[in-house]
Amino acid sequence: MVQRSLKRNALRALPARSIIDAIAAAARQWSDPDLPSRRRSARAIAERTGYSASVVDHALHHLFEPITGTALNQTIAAELGSVDVLDGFVQRDGRPDTFAAAVGSVCLIASRTTIGVTLLPAIYALCAKCDVMVKDREDHLIAAFFGTLAERHEAFSDAARAKTFSSEASELDIHEFDCVVAFGKDATLARIRSACAPNARFVGFGSRASAGYITAGRTHDNGALTATLEGAARDFLLYDSEGCMSLHVLFVEEAAGGGRIAELFSAAVERESLRFPIGTSDLEAVTRRASVQRSAAFRASMASQGVLSDERSTHAIVFDPPRDEPPPFTPRSISVIPVHGPSDAASYLKRHRIALEAFALSERRADLVDMAVEAGAVRLTRFGAMQQPPASGNHGGRPRILDFVRWIDREL
Amino acid sequence: MSETTFNSLALQIFAHQLRHNAPYARFCASLGVGPDAMPARWEDIPAVPVSAFKDATLTTFEPGTAELQFETSGTTQRRAGVHFMENAALYRASLLAAFDRAMLPDCARLRYLNVVPSSNEKPRSSLAYMLDVITSARGDGLGGWYVHGDQLAVDEFVHDTHAAISDGIGVCITGTAFGLLNLLDALSARNESFELPPRSRMMETGGFKGRTREIERRQFYRLLSERFGIEEPAITAEYGMTELSSQCYDSLESRSSAQRIKVSPPWLRSRVVDPVGKTIQGEQSGALVHVDLANRSSVLAIATDDLASAARDGFLLHGRLESAGLRGCSLDAEDLWSSVR
Repeated sequence: MVQRSLKRNALRALPARSIIDAIAAAARQWSDPDLPSRRRSARAIAERTGYSASVVDHALHHLFEPITGTALNQTIAAELGSVDVLDGFVQRDGRPDTFAAAVGSVCLIASRTTIGVTLLPAIYALCAKCDVMVKDREDHLIAAFFGTLAERHEAFSDAARAKTFSSEASELDIHEFDCVVAFGKDATLARIRSACAPNARFVGFGSRASAGYITAGRTHDNGALTATLEGAARDFLLYDSEGCMSLHVLFVEEAAGGGRIAELFSAAVERESLRFPIGTSDLEAVTRRASVQRSAAFRASMASQGVLSDERSTHAIVFDPPRDEPPPFTPRSISVIPVHGPSDAASYLKRHRIALEAFALSERRADLVDMAVEAGAVRLTRFGAMQQPPASGNHGGRPRILDFVRWIDREL
Repeated sequence: MSETTFNSLALQIFAHQLRHNAPYARFCASLGVGPDAMPARWEDIPAVPVSAFKDATLTTFEPGTAELQFETSGTTQRRAGVHFMENAALYRASLLAAFDRAMLPDCARLRYLNVVPSSNEKPRSSLAYMLDVITSARGDGLGGWYVHGDQLAVDEFVHDTHAAISDGIGVCITGTAFGLLNLLDALSARNESFELPPRSRMMETGGFKGRTREIERRQFYRLLSERFGIEEPAITAEYGMTELSSQCYDSLESRSSAQRIKVSPPWLRSRVVDPVGKTIQGEQSGALVHVDLANRSSVLAIATDDLASAARDGFLLHGRLESAGLRGCSLDAEDLWSSVR
C-alpha cells in the first residue's frame, strides 16, 4: 500500500528551489562515469538489456548531463509561470492568486528498453513535491539515483521510492495513487488506466516510432551530408532501434539519388557500429532481423529493392521496399524510402498509421516542418540528436510538470 | 522415405523449379545457385521467405491455369500473397494422407463439425479447402460449418452436436484456436457442455498471435476437454501454412505430455536454422525451414518466421515471429500487468 511505502507529503516543507538544487546536484554526481553507483548501474543495465557498454555509457551520459538547475528552473517557470508557485500562493495580474500544489502520490511504470525513461517524470513529480513510486527494473538505476538524492536530503528517502515489482499483487495497488504514469503498448495502457482510481490522473505514453527526412539540397555539400548520415546512423544504432526515439524509417528525396544515399548511410552505419557495437540480441530479435534480410534479399533478386548489411549481418537497411510494407520495427533494421517530396513521406506514414515521436529533418524547410507536424510528430530535431531529448523539452507531446500539480485558486 | 530418396526427389523438383519458376531462379542465382551450381543436398536448396509469395508469382506453370489458388492473410495496409497450385489432386492427396496418419490412425468414420467458414464462403482459404476435402472424404456426410461471415452459429453447432451424440457417432471438431475459444465462451454463457461419443476428437490450428485474447495452451485444452467431455490427448494441434501443401501435427506419442512434438509427413522435412540459415543441431531454438515435396508447382523450400527447436522425429514449435510493431518507451508494462491487477 502506498501509505506503508511512502510518507505522504514528505517534501511539502522543502522549498521548491531546494528540491531542484538537490536534484541537479545529484544529477551532476551521476554525470561522472566513475561514480561507483553509476558504474554498478551501468554494468547491471548492460546485463539486463544486452546493450554494449558504450551504448549504456552514452545513454547514462545523455540521461543525466542535461538535468541542470537551469534547465529544471526554466522548464518549471515556463509551464507554471514561476517556481515559487510550487511553494504557495502567488499573485497573478487580473486572475486569482494561485498555488500549484502537489497532485499527491505518483506511480511511474516502465521500462524494459529505454534506459531510465521514468527518471525525468519522477524528477518533475518530485519538484512538484509529490510522493513518487517508480516501478524499477532489475538494474535498480532509479533506486540508485534516489539513493543519491536521499544523501542530499533525508526527505527524499520518504518521498521517492523505487521498487522492483514482484508477482505479489498486494505489493502495489495503483488504485491508491493520485496519478499514474505508464509507458507501454496502447492496449496495456488502457488496462492500467482502468485499474486507476476514478479520480486519478493517468498519463500514458503509448507506442511511438521516429522518422527522418533527407532533402536533395543537403546532398550537395559533402561535409554536411556526411555529418547528416553519421547522425542518422547514431539515431538508428543506439539502443538497437528499440526506443520510441530510434530512427525507424528514413525518407530520402529521389533527386538526391536514393540508392547512393542508402549506400552512404550503410557505410556510416558500419563506421558508427565501431563506436556503438551491437549488443547481445535475444534469439527472437536476431531471427526477426534475419527474416527482414531474407525478404529484402528476395526482392533484391527481382531488382525491386535492395538490402544493405555488414559481414556479420548486425543490421539490415532495406532500400525502396514496397510502400504497403511497414517499417520492420526490428532491432537494427530500417527502411530507407525514396520520395519525390514530403507528401510521399506523409502518405506512407498515414498509410501505416505510425504514431510519431521524433522527426529528424536535414534542414528546416517550411514544407518539411508542415509535413512533420501534420504527420503527428511531437519533436522536430536534427539528425544525431534524436536520442538526446533536452530535459527542458516536452516528451510524447506532453508537458513535464503540469501533470503533477493541482491548481488551487484563491479568490478571497 | 529414406534420406536418399527424399534427397533425390527434392533435387529433381528443385531442378524443375529452376527451369520453370523464373522469380525463384533469379533468387537462387543471386545466391550463386543455378543449373551450373546445383546443391548436393536437399538442405542446401535455397529457401524463399514466406513474404516472397506477396512479392512475386511463384509458379512453374502459367498461373491462369491453376486449379487452386489460396491467399495468405493480408490487411488493409498490406496486400495478400497467393499460392497457386497447378494440380488439385496432388494437394488433396497430400493433405488427406497427412491427416489420416495424424488424426485417423484408427480409420474412424467421423462427423466433422467445423468451426471455420466453409470453402464456399472463403474460396481462397487453404484451411477451409483442406477441411472441405477432409469432411467430404472422411466424414459421414452430415457434418457442418459453424462460422458464417464473422458470426459463430452457436445454436446450429449445439443442435448438430446433440444430434451426433444422439446418433452415437464420434465427431471431429475442427477450428482455429481463436474460433474455438470464442465457441467456449459462447457455450459457457449458455451453460452448455457435452459428453461426446467415444472416438470423438478435436483439431485446432493457428494459435492466438495478433488476437486480442490469448490463453496458455494447456489451459485452453483443459477447458476444451471439460466442455466436450473428451480426454486432452484427443485434442491435436495442426501446423500448416498457405505457402505449404503439407501439414504437420502433434505426434501421437507426445499428446499426453506437456511438450507436444510436431511431426511431418514423410514428404515434408523441416530444419531449425540459425540466422544465416545453417541447421542448428541439438535443442537450441531457431527459425523453421521446410522442404515440401508436394510444393511441386511453386517453391519447395520455404523459410518461415516460426521459432522452433529440434526434437525427436520432429520439432517443438515455440511461436511465430510477429512484426514487432511500434515500440513505446517500454514494453514491460505488459510484464507488470499480472502483478498489479
